Formats: sequence, structure tokens, C-alpha cells
Amino acid sequence: MTTEKARVPGRAMPLGARKPLVDPREIEFSRLKKWASELNLCIRCGYCYEHCPLYRASSWEIDTPRGRLLLAYGLLTGEVEPSPYVAEKMFECFYCGNCSRSCSAKVSPTDIFTDARADLLDSGYAGEGTTARNDEKLCMACGRCVSACKAQALTLDMGSMRVAVDRVKCKGCGVCVVECPVGAMSQRAGFGVTREELSAAVQSYLRGINGSPKVVVFCCSWSMTPGLQLSRMESAGAVNASGVIVSVCSGRVDPGLILDAFHQGAWGVMIACCPLDECEHDGNYRARERCVSVGRLLDVLGFQAERLRLEHFATGEVQKLKNAVKSFAGEMASLGPI
Amino acid sequence: MEIDVRRLQEIVGEEDVRDNAADLYVYGSDASVHEANPSVVVRPETVEEVQAIVRYANAQLVPVIARGAGSGASGQAVPIDGGIVMDFKRMNRIKAIRPRDVLCKVEPGVVCDDLNRALQPHGLWFPSAPESGRIATIGGTIANNGSGVRAIKYGTMRDYVLGMKVVLANGDMVTLGADTRAQASGYQLDRLMVGSEGTLGLIVEATLLLRPLPRFKAMGMAKFSELEDAGETISDIVASEVTPSLLELVDDIAITALNKTLNMNLPQVEAIVVYECDGRMKEAVDYDMATIKEICEKNNAFGVEMGSDPKEMERIYSGRKKLFAALSRYREGLVCTSLADDMAVPSSKIAECARKIHEIGERNRVVMNAYGHCGIGLLHTKILMEATRKEQWEDARRAVDEVYEYVRSVGGTTSGEHGIALSKAPAWKKEKADSLQMMKAIKAALDPNNILNPHKLMDAPDDWVTATKLRYPVKL
Repeated sequence: MTTEKARVPGRAMPLGARKPLVDPREIEFSRLKKWASELNLCIRCGYCYEHCPLYRASSWEIDTPRGRLLLAYGLLTGEVEPSPYVAEKMFECFYCGNCSRSCSAKVSPTDIFTDARADLLDSGYAGEGTTARNDEKLCMACGRCVSACKAQALTLDMGSMRVAVDRVKCKGCGVCVVECPVGAMSQRAGFGVTREELSAAVQSYLRGINGSPKVVVFCCSWSMTPGLQLSRMESAGAVNASGVIVSVCSGRVDPGLILDAFHQGAWGVMIACCPLDECEHDGNYRARERCVSVGRLLDVLGFQAERLRLEHFATGEVQKLKNAVKSFAGEMASLGPI
Repeated sequence: MEIDVRRLQEIVGEEDVRDNAADLYVYGSDASVHEANPSVVVRPETVEEVQAIVRYANAQLVPVIARGAGSGASGQAVPIDGGIVMDFKRMNRIKAIRPRDVLCKVEPGVVCDDLNRALQPHGLWFPSAPESGRIATIGGTIANNGSGVRAIKYGTMRDYVLGMKVVLANGDMVTLGADTRAQASGYQLDRLMVGSEGTLGLIVEATLLLRPLPRFKAMGMAKFSELEDAGETISDIVASEVTPSLLELVDDIAITALNKTLNMNLPQVEAIVVYECDGRMKEAVDYDMATIKEICEKNNAFGVEMGSDPKEMERIYSGRKKLFAALSRYREGLVCTSLADDMAVPSSKIAECARKIHEIGERNRVVMNAYGHCGIGLLHTKILMEATRKEQWEDARRAVDEVYEYVRSVGGTTSGEHGIALSKAPAWKKEKADSLQMMKAIKAALDPNNILNPHKLMDAPDDWVTATKLRYPVKL
């Protein structure tokens, strides 16, 4: 995987160009300005913390919705100077919207982040954050990622045959990463949802568990995970007794990851995703297709296809998810290991 | 003040030290009106790391400010003199749950609601989780002596701390209290730490008493056309033979905010009283619920709703849970500030206090409402004001003064659960005038170099408005 930065910093710019950095004192933040009074309405209670998948991974307060709102406020008042680091932080968000939904003051953090991103980008502060990056050396310009992107953040320039990422529009769902047949699309690691991190999480869970049914659940963050959100049990085995691994969007779970989980010793794999019409990225449709094809493969290999399960959960249906995991674990216990 | 960041990195590792401007700005705020940046943020993961950091800070005379979730409403975690903010969120292990001893041992960064999730399979719970329990940490809750909505039956944090391990200002660790409920003579040093707001020591482990989960619960809601009637109802319930597990007041301003933000369709009455009873037998719970209903109706309540179905109870209570933030949307142009926000008065004074709060708000051109855990005499208010207008801060200062003058006159106290820190220090110093020297002597004995959360409580500035930069864009 390449570490080279995507050459295209953002919208409305010629490909390959980079805007000169604007003197921080000169930046107007014309889009962010309209949120000034909303930023005052945020009471900074921090109730958004428990819902944020980024914070769960890093536990630094700058990686919370409140933290980024504070940065946005600081940028407006001049208390925070724009910098590549600030831009990087502002471009880190999976747009799951849990923070906006949970905010009783009805502040919409993600809308504010989007405008802050656009302002920063216009001033030459292009963070990469959780947005997709395209390795042009590998990219075949097949366009699969472009048609898969529901946020319309990807464009294929037919002249140069390059795929450009609009970092303001990109919501970091990771669907393009899975869709790319040659591994040209990628996302920065660090928040537990890249292919490698998910695979490592599966491995660590399966190694830590003894005896009981080894069930791996890939859960999109819209459904919210049950169990401990921000604390740990002292004994390692109890950290994640149900094997729930948050993948942010079910569209990230590729067939290889599912088969890898079985290969590593899982008795069953469940993908918990949004109801069919409710996924912003159509990741659930992709997950459904993958489940069908991997299920057939399991059959051909002589394993029971019911070891792979797809379930739909609407936002906040935590209890329903818990029950489904429990009943799936019960079924797998009767099937035993592969 | 020179801080050797490399030294701190040697102690906790490079990954767990941050000193860039953006992170420092984020760690300079909490849920209060105050703002002041630290010099560096460190995240220890072990007691030894905490000790090493404190030893370094004590030698260099650098302030150390403990921080849990940063959800404090009075500026407890705002580093007024800069220094090292010690973020305890990585010390978040539930170390032991001992059902036979009905206790648990936890690190300070454990989140209150997480603890309850972990206790539930054992049929136990920790009832003193505050409403902010979804993020508030045990360490912060102890340091504030938080209580939450069930304090009327189950008591406050003070009643749940059996013991703790504390790192003192010189870096030594002491074990206070014991694993027993009975602890007789001697200074109750573990209790001294409860409510000390990080000024006497850093809590690195707590032993907490637990309770069995109640088998049955029911919840009710009564509406009142007159605020006085609701207040009288609360006083009558508290003085009756029934002890509800929750008894909350919501006033008309809060009702408006809830209807506006959450479309709750609550009737626009002067006050709503929400109550809950719990216990081992359904019949006993029902009997208590009926008694409370009678008291409500005797005081002219109407439309009393009751339910024991979890969904129904969630519906009845959901508004109260989201009230703090919802008040932000009460009226265009006003913001919701945590000022004079948790006074407590004798239970017979609830109605009078609620009315006073409204009057004082009106007189001073700000909006003030009354709600809260009235069962323990605790009334919350928020000051809704135009925070970008300089004059409004003069108004708020006067309103805060007047509220606390009244509270003191009836034998009440400045803070029932949110703590003193900066916002409430001027009023609290007046309330505790004759014991301030005693507190200063304790502070000087335990922290002679004044490094632990300095300039809070009795040492806080005399004017809260100018104690730090305000979090709103306003020039005073």
C-alpha cells in the first residue's frame, strides 16, 4: 500500500494542482462563519463522545465531535491557527451522524465539519484524514469506485485517465476501497476500520477467546455496539465477549475478510447492517451480495452456509442486535467449530 | 513555567503526550463558561506513571489538573494557570467485581454507565451515576461528589466510596478506607477526597459499594397549573412515608424547550413532576406509586400518567434526560450557560426557590428556569442569555449573586452535585466563610507547593466572570 498523498487536493481545481497556503490571518472562513451562532449553542456537554467511532479508537478528545467543533470555533475566533495538523483533524470523520442524532441541542457537527473542510481546502490546508486516496500508479481507471461512491466524491477525468477524490464530499465510508479490484484506493489507518485493522481485530478476538462459540460480528457504527463503550474489563477475555467488531459501514466487509475470519477459526460470522433502504452508502446491498456469494462458496466447500448471517438493524436497535448476536451464538454452539 | 515534554514522554511514552496548539485548545474547555489552555496533556496508564508525573511536577512547581471526561459544569478541569492536564481516560479498567462483597474496584477513567453495563449480569448496579453517566468518569464523579437522579433513595457518591488509592502531591500513594462498609474512628480521609475537585490528591483506584438491581420499577408524571403546587407536592412526598427512587421537577421553560427541540408534545403547563418507585415486590411498588399519586392529586395535579413498561417509562423520562442541551433552543439568540446551576435548599423550600429563580431571572433580563432532583432539595437552573453581549454578563453576575443570597438565607448550599471550581467559588466562599481557613490549612498540609488543580474552590478568583477567558466570543 502506498503512502504517497493523492495529488488532487480537492474540488474545483485543475488536476495535479495544489493551492498555495493562505496566510492564516487572511483566511475568511466564509462558509464556517454562518455556523457561528450554532457553535455558541453547543453546550460542550460531551454527550457525543460515546457515539463517535473515531474517539472509541483513539480516546483523545480532539477526535470527538466536541473536539472538532471546538477547533471550528477556534478557527473562527482566531484562537486556533490553521495548520496541516488542524486540517488533518477536520478531515477525520466517518459521517456516521451519530453525534448529530444524539445532540439534544440539535447542533449538526457533520455539516459544520463539511464547511470547515471546504474553507480549509480553499486556503490550501488539505488534510487527508479519513478520506479515500487513490494510488495513481496502481489505478487502472476502470471507474468501479466512481460508480460505487454514493457521495459522488470520485470523478474520472477521461483526458488524464485519473480518478480524483473530492475530499469535501468524501464521507470515508470505505466502499471504494473494497470495490477497487487492484488495491489502488485506500484510507489511512488509525481508527480501526481499514482492512488490515479489521483483520487484526478479528485475529485478536479469536485468539483471546477460549471454548464458547467463536462468533465474529461485523457491525456498522449506525447500529451502535452493545456492551462497554469506553471502558475495559481487567481480564482480556472479557473485553469483547461477543466478538462485535465495528466496521463503520458493512460495505467495508469484503469477501476476503469474511473468509479470513473462518480461516482464523470463527465458527460463524454475522454482518450487522442498516435496513435495506437506510444505508447512506448502499453498503448493505453490497454486504448482501457478498453474503450470498460467500455463502455459496461455503456450501461448495462443504461447510454450512448458515454460518454466515446478514441481519439488519435500524439506528439505536441495540437490544435487537444483542438478542440477534445471542441467538446466532447459540446456533453456532450447536453447529460447533468448522 | 518550564515543562520538559521529553521527560513526560519518557514516563508515559511519546504517543501519550500532546503539546500542539490544537490539542491544548481542546483540553482547555469543559461544559462550563470557562476556557484556559494547558501547557501539555498526558495520558498515564498506570499508577507508577501517575506518580512519576506528579513527582516531576512537584519538583518543577508545575500545576497538575486531573481530567476525566471534561464534562464538569463549573470549570473543574479548566487549567487556570496552565500546566499539565492529566487525562485519566486510559486508566479505564474495571479491575474487580465482587458480588459476595457487594463491591467493585475500578480505575478513575471508567465511565459510569459502562460500569453499570458490566454490573448488570451480576444483578448489581451503582446507583450514583449522574445524568452525564454516559461519559462522566468515576474519578470525576468522586472528585465532584456527584449524585444523579436516584440520590433521593440511594444517596450520593459519598455514600458509595468505601475506599480509594490516591497519589498525593509528593508522588506517594496512599490507600484510604477499606473493603468494608463498617469503618469506625479516625479521620475519614477517603471521604475528604470526595468532592475535593482534584485539589488534594489524584484518585487512581476506587472501591465502590454496589446495590442489587431493583426487580420492579414504575414511573409516573403529574402536571400542575401552578408551580407552587408542584413544589408543595415534592415537599409533601419527601416528608411522607414513601421514598421514591426518583423525584424530578420540570418547569414551563424547560417544557417549552423540550417541545421545541424534541417535539415532545408535553402540555404547556407551569410544572411537571416525574417520579419513580422501585423495589423487590410489584405490590409494594404499586402501593408506593398510588400513595404518590394521591399526594399529587391532593395538590391539584391533573393528568397523572403511570407506567411500568420499560418503553413507557423511557417515554416519560426521555425529556428530562435531554433537558440540559435542549435548553439551548429555548429562544432564538439565547445560549444555555451552566451558572448557579445546582443549588440545594431544604425540601420545604422547593416551591419558593423555584419561584425566586424565575423572578431573579426576569429582574436581571436573563431567562432562568428551575428543574432537577428536587427530592434531595436540589434545583437546577441554567441562565439563558445573549452571551455575545457584554451587558448580559453583568446581568448574569447579578442574577447569580441574588440566587445564592437567597439560597444562603434559607440554609441551602451553593452546589448540590456539579461542584464549585471557578463559576461558583465566589458564592461558596461566602457560604463557607468560617471554615475556609480550615480548608486552606488542609490544602497546605497535603499540597504545600500548590500544584494540584490550583486556584479552585477556596483559592479561586473572587469574580467568576473574569476568572478565565469566557468560552463565548465576547469582549468584557
